[in-house]
Amino acid sequence: MSIISALVMATFTTPEKIGADPQSMLWLLPLVAAIAIVYKATKLPEIKAANFLKEAVILFGSIVVFMSITALVLCTFAWLVIE
Amino acid sequence: MTAPRSKKKHKLFLLTVGLLAWLIPGAGHFLIKEKKRALIISATIVLTFCAGLYVGSIGIINPVGAKPWYVAQIMNSPIVAVLGYWATKGYYPVFGRPNEIGQIYTSIAGLLNLLCIVNAVYLAHLHKIETAGD
Repeated sequence: MSIISALVMATFTTPEKIGADPQSMLWLLPLVAAIAIVYKATKLPEIKAANFLKEAVILFGSIVVFMSITALVLCTFAWLVIE
Repeated sequence: MTAPRSKKKHKLFLLTVGLLAWLIPGAGHFLIKEKKRALIISATIVLTFCAGLYVGSIGIINPVGAKPWYVAQIMNSPIVAVLGYWATKGYYPVFGRPNEIGQIYTSIAGLLNLLCIVNAVYLAHLHKIETAGD
């Protein structure tokens, strides 16, 4: 087995070190991007680069904004319950 | 006699599109000549799945201890079953946040591929109707 293939195998056989800190929530961004891209790829009647990109970015932004608002509301609610 | 046979062929074609879309993400759309869609879908789903494997290792595919996740993961491709078989040997333990993130990524990739399978079959059916209308 060559060094490169051994390194590739090692990448997928050893988990990354990710802590349970607030920064780990940023892992949701690539996932939201994937959801927005695939959803728009299935929904648009015709795929044209500029239009597709615009639609995907709008959906990505909408999801992120909605999730942020939900998180803010839940944080406020938790803070009110605790205080 | 020709009409029922063509209907049977159409059903077989839809089945082929669905199966191909499951075997290789995006291949169903490629078969119905939606090449741009196929490329976007294939790249996005494969990258999302690989990102999940990169974060959590192949240990996140667990057909025994995490069955509901596995059901979603296997929607990516039947190749996941082979990875699951390797993972059950127990050489790739993974816990905590990497396990969660990896499972979420690979499962969402699988569910997105399910959406694409349904979409490819639907588009293949629409193409048939449009062709019949012409």
